Amino acid sequence: MKLLVVEDEPSLLNSITRYFRQEQFICEGVSTFTDALQRIEDTLYDCIILDINLPGGSGLQLLKYLREDKKKDGVIIISARNSLDDKVTGLDYGADDYLTKPFHLPELSARVKALLRRKYSDGNAIVDLDVLRIELASRTVTIQGQPVGLSKIEYDLLLFLVTNKNRVVSRQAIAEHLYDGPSDQAPGPEFVYSHIKNLKRKLKEKSCPEIIQTVYGLGYKLVV
Amino acid sequence: MSQPLQQRNTRSLLTWLPLVMLAGSVFLYLILIGHIQHMKHQQLQLKQNNVWKAYTSDTLHVPVRLPGEYDIAPAAAQTDLETDSANLAILMQTHQLAGQPYRVITYISAKEYRHLLIKVSIAEAIIFILLLVSIVIINRSESRRLWTPFYATMNAVRGYDIRQNKPLALDSITGIEEFDRLNKTLRDLIDHVDQAYRNQKQFTENASHELQTPLAIIRSKVELLIEGPGLNEDSAQLLQEITEANERLSQMNKNLLLLTRIDNGQYPEIGPVDLSSLVERLTQFFRDYYENEVAKTTTTIPPGIHLTANPALIEILVNNLLRNAYIHNMPGGWVDIQLSGKALTIKNSGPALEGDPERLFDRFRKGRVDNRTTGLGLALVRQIAQLHNYDIHYTYQDGVHQLRVTFS
Repeated sequence: MKLLVVEDEPSLLNSITRYFRQEQFICEGVSTFTDALQRIEDTLYDCIILDINLPGGSGLQLLKYLREDKKKDGVIIISARNSLDDKVTGLDYGADDYLTKPFHLPELSARVKALLRRKYSDGNAIVDLDVLRIELASRTVTIQGQPVGLSKIEYDLLLFLVTNKNRVVSRQAIAEHLYDGPSDQAPGPEFVYSHIKNLKRKLKEKSCPEIIQTVYGLGYKLVV
Repeated sequence: MSQPLQQRNTRSLLTWLPLVMLAGSVFLYLILIGHIQHMKHQQLQLKQNNVWKAYTSDTLHVPVRLPGEYDIAPAAAQTDLETDSANLAILMQTHQLAGQPYRVITYISAKEYRHLLIKVSIAEAIIFILLLVSIVIINRSESRRLWTPFYATMNAVRGYDIRQNKPLALDSITGIEEFDRLNKTLRDLIDHVDQAYRNQKQFTENASHELQTPLAIIRSKVELLIEGPGLNEDSAQLLQEITEANERLSQMNKNLLLLTRIDNGQYPEIGPVDLSSLVERLTQFFRDYYENEVAKTTTTIPPGIHLTANPALIEILVNNLLRNAYIHNMPGGWVDIQLSGKALTIKNSGPALEGDPERLFDRFRKGRVDNRTTGLGLALVRQIAQLHNYDIHYTYQDGVHQLRVTFS
C-alpha cells in the first residue's frame, strides 16, 4: 500500500511517516504544495493524508486538482482548523475523511485502514484474526463460528484494537475513538478500563485466547 | 443629589426669575412713585402761579375761593383746608400783594395718579407672570430639543456591546458643536478600546492556534515512544504522566480556542438542528460509556423537536451538559434527561458543589478537584447559551443537580 503524507510541520510529518512505515506501508512525505503536486502527478497512491494549510497553496486546491483529474486516490484531510465549514468543504471537494489536529496516530491509522477497506472490499469486508472474525457490514463478531454479543462501545473498541493490531494504543486514543460527540469535547479515558475488562471477559467466555494485553498504565495492545 | 437637567433648569429658573422680577417691580414702583410726586408738584405749582397771577390782575372780579381748586386768604386769617384730603393734593404758598402777605392754597385731584399707579402695577405684574411662564416653557422645549443629540448618544453608548463586533453608530453632525465634539471623542475612545479588545481576542486565538502544533508533535512523539523498544515500568509511568498532562493541556487549549472563536463571532451559521436525535445520540453514547459507573439513565425525548441554531455549537452544549451529568455523579447514581420544545432539563445524582453555584459557569471554576475536566466545559455552555439567547439555570437540592436550558 502506498501512502503520501502532505504536512508542512516537519516534526509531525516525520512522526506520521515513521508510524506508517512500521506497518509495512510504503509511505512518502512532502511538506510543500509544489512537492505534493509533483508527487500526485507522478504516482498513484492508495491514500493521501493531506494538510490544508501548506506553504505555497491550500490542500483543498490539491484535492480539487486531484478530483478534476479523475484520480481515485483516497484522501484524508488533516487540519488544525476545526470548523464545520472546513469539514463540509473538504468532503464536498471529494475527501474521503476528515480528521482534526491534534489527532492520535492510531486514530489516523484506523481511518486510513478503514478507507482502504472501503476502497478495496466493496463493502462486505471481513476481518479474520486467528479464531476471531469480524464482519464489518453487519457489525458482528464470531469466535470459531460462535457469535459474541458485544455492545456498540465494545465492538468499536475491539475493531479499533484489531485495526491497530500489534501496536500500543493509548487509553486517550481509545476514549476519543469511541466518542460519538463533537470532536473537541471527548470525555476522559478513565472508563476505557472497564470497557476493556468487559470485552476481555466476553471474549474469554467464548474461549478466545488472551489477545488483549495491558501495557503498563499506558494503553492496550492486541497481539496476534 | 442629581436631578434631570430639565427639572433642575426649571427649578433654578423658578427660584431666581421671581426674585429678579420682584426686585424689578420694587424698583419700578419706587421710580413711578417718585415721578408721580414730581408731576403732582409741578401741576400744583403751575396752578398756584396761574391762580395768583389771575387774582393780582383783577382782585375785584376773581373769586378768592373755588372749592377743590384754590383758596386765597390773608396770611393772618384762619383758613380751613378742604376736608377731602385723601383725594386731593395740596400746595400752600405765601405771596405778597401791596405789602400784605397772602396765603394761597391750590388743590388738584390725586385720584388719577393713584389709578395710574395701580394700573401700571397690574400691567407690570401680568407682563412679569407671562414672561416667567413663557421663559420656563421656552426653556423646557428648547432644552429638550437641544439635548436630543445627547440622549441619542447616550442610548447608542448604552446599547453598545463590544462583543457584538458592531461599530458604535454616532452622528458626526448633530447641529451643535459641543455634541459633535462629544461624539467624536466617544467614537475615538470606543475605537481604541475596540481595537485593543480585538487585538486581545486575536492574540488568544492565534496563541491557542499556534499551541496546537507543538501539542500535536508532543502527542505523536509520545505515541512513537510507547512502542519503542526498552519500555519498562518506570519509563511507562513517566510517559503516562506526560500523556495525561499533554492531553489536559490539549483539551484546555481546544476549549479556549473554541471560546475565543465563539467570542469572535466565528459561528454565524444558523440552521435547523434536530434536537431530539442529537440528544438521543449523545445520551446513547454517554449511557454506554459510563454504564459501569452510573447505574441508571432515564429519558423523555419526544421526536421532532427542532431548534434554529448553530448545529456545531448546540452539539457542544448538549454534549457538555450530558458529560457533566455523568462525570459529576457517583457510583450507582442516575441521570434523568427531559426534553421538550421549551427546555432541556438534565438532572443527576451527585455530591454537592464545593463553591459558589453563581460562579459555576465561570472559566476555570471547578466544582471539585478533578483532573478529568478542564474547567471550561460549562463556560462554553454559557457562552453558547448567551449567543442563542437561551436561559440557563442551575439548582441543587437534596443531592440532585438540575441544569435547565430554556430555549426562547
